[in-house]
Amino acid sequence: MALAEVEGLAHRYADGLAAALNDVSLIVEPGEVVALLGPSGSGKSTLIRALAGLVPHFHGGRFSGSVRVAGLDTRTSRPADLAGTVATVFQDPEDQIVMTGVLGEVAFGLENLGVQPSELEARALTALEAVGAGDLAGRRADTLSGGELQRVCLASALAVAPRLLLLDEPTSQLDPEAADRFVALAADLARQRGTAVVLAEQRPARALANADRVVFLDRGRVVLDAQSAAARSWLRANRPAFAPREAVTLPAEHDQRGDGVVSALDRVSYAYGGGHLVLDGVSLDLRRGEVVALTGRNGAGKTTLARLAAGLLTPDSGASRLTGRAGYLPQDSGRYLVCERVDDEVGLGGHKSTRALRDLGLVGFEHRHPRDLSSGERERVTLAAVLAPDPDLLVLDEPTRGMDPERKEELAALVRAQARRRATLVVTHDLVFAGDVADREIALGTREEALV
Amino acid sequence: MALRLRLSAVPAAALLAALAAAALVAGRGWTVAAIAAILFLTCLYARGRSRVYLAGALSSAVGLFLLTPLLVVEGTHVLWRGPIVPVIGELDVTREELASSAVQALRLAAVTLAFAAYALLVDHDRLLRAAGSARRSVLGVALATRLLPTLQRDAAGLVVALRGRGVDVGGTRGRARLLGPLLAGSLERGLGLAEAMEARGFGRPGKTNLPAKPWTLLDWAAVGAAAAIVLGGFLWL
Repeated sequence: MALAEVEGLAHRYADGLAAALNDVSLIVEPGEVVALLGPSGSGKSTLIRALAGLVPHFHGGRFSGSVRVAGLDTRTSRPADLAGTVATVFQDPEDQIVMTGVLGEVAFGLENLGVQPSELEARALTALEAVGAGDLAGRRADTLSGGELQRVCLASALAVAPRLLLLDEPTSQLDPEAADRFVALAADLARQRGTAVVLAEQRPARALANADRVVFLDRGRVVLDAQSAAARSWLRANRPAFAPREAVTLPAEHDQRGDGVVSALDRVSYAYGGGHLVLDGVSLDLRRGEVVALTGRNGAGKTTLARLAAGLLTPDSGASRLTGRAGYLPQDSGRYLVCERVDDEVGLGGHKSTRALRDLGLVGFEHRHPRDLSSGERERVTLAAVLAPDPDLLVLDEPTRGMDPERKEELAALVRAQARRRATLVVTHDLVFAGDVADREIALGTREEALV
Repeated sequence: MALRLRLSAVPAAALLAALAAAALVAGRGWTVAAIAAILFLTCLYARGRSRVYLAGALSSAVGLFLLTPLLVVEGTHVLWRGPIVPVIGELDVTREELASSAVQALRLAAVTLAFAAYALLVDHDRLLRAAGSARRSVLGVALATRLLPTLQRDAAGLVVALRGRGVDVGGTRGRARLLGPLLAGSLERGLGLAEAMEARGFGRPGKTNLPAKPWTLLDWAAVGAAAAIVLGGFLWL
């Protein structure tokens, strides 16, 4: 018997211009791992929320069709009623942590379900140990890194022993190795327990490596529902950007493309607030006309190095030199919007916005409120705002987080098209994107490792 | 960093509340100063995380100390006489006004430092479990308490994002412009948290709690001390 049955599901958000889901039908069997793929805005998150009952109960809007999970109809069962059966890990771990301490956080769902008090601590600790986070049990949640928080969120979901585990882009804050381990761990644990998993993911290779089945959504409709092997062939033929491919190995050395040095760091060291050194004796130069990918594990100091290169931080020791104007796009840039119109946001600081709006495909959006846009559109607005002053150095910090493969190809094409005008540094975990966009790669190691 | 305070949550919160109450009712300046000093040292126990709270507590206290003598009329020993300002009248500062404003500033510092110690050092989860039927209210307070460090982090991110676009955010106007976006961002975060809580079964009947650890002698002593501090504040301080 199917664990989850979605039949003729259509949903339009109250403020939505178009239907987020349209005539979606789907069956999820117990113990099955289903990958949800599709472009940004295709309805993946809405489908996950519908399976959790959050659509329509939390988000409202117009809902038709039916979703049944373990025999419960989500139109009549509220998300809280489904909580013991369904568990969800959302994209941003910071927005789902309720309690102050890690143990309390993992126990929170169990407490809500009325689990016997004598079992709570043991079950929470078991779940933490299952995800390799047993040592975090005594920590405050606000002292954890993004990766640690995501493991705590997975532990919280697994602790309730759900029959359906929903993962909505849960690896957005992790480096590739950690993300691979995270998804494999979630899939393995689920299979061991007979839990079905629905995984929305923007990095198709990872999803395909762990899924039994792939569902591809486009504009709210299911356009593919197939076993993983068949899905690979379909993706290669129909949506090649989503087909897994190997990352290109980039050289570490300059080629002849670069002209004058725009930003130079010479044996710089940096420590936040006088704490431990994040960077120690690092050198780097960025030349006009070249695109450099800065890669490395979480906590290696990539963002710090990028901010030093852009002149946003001053090194504690060593020398930094920046010639001309730098533009810096931070991680999660869509959070950092200050104006009430898109054209004001892009032109903030008195810069001309017309060209940047055109380059980013934002013509027609000028009068919209930036916070009314989708997350992908917001990030295009902030990128346009960084490009508007036509900087001599462009630094993009994790620009592809949460971005679908087709949009990544567009971004890579845009950066390449403008590469001759400036030096460009792209901080990224996405090695395929790095291969598409960059001329060379700097792999930043841990502090103990040698660098460039 | 492990949750630090050795006291159980309820006695710790009671002790901090008692110190804040004593600072409000105590009449002697040195008593209020001693309470503020104790709370200041307590906050230092949280090390780096205490900076924003200490800065907020001290700057608001200094602000109150500087403004109060200009806005109240008290005493006869004039130390400085200034211009006449419409509505307020003649500005002057007397020795009595300085003494009075110093006590008020210390009171404000003590109360804000007590809140800071609560935010930084008390285990809110255990306080929540001890709240019984007031659980929803206490959870609201605990989540609101977390708002300050979140806002601090978001504000730092916003400043970097704007500087990265070549936009100067210096000065009062520049920083004031951040308030609206920060509020909007915190509302978006709140919506995400509410959704996650609903998905995790918050509000279902039959909720249970992690068992509370039994109180130690130190906990009982802290509750006794809290009662004594409040009583002493009314009677002798």
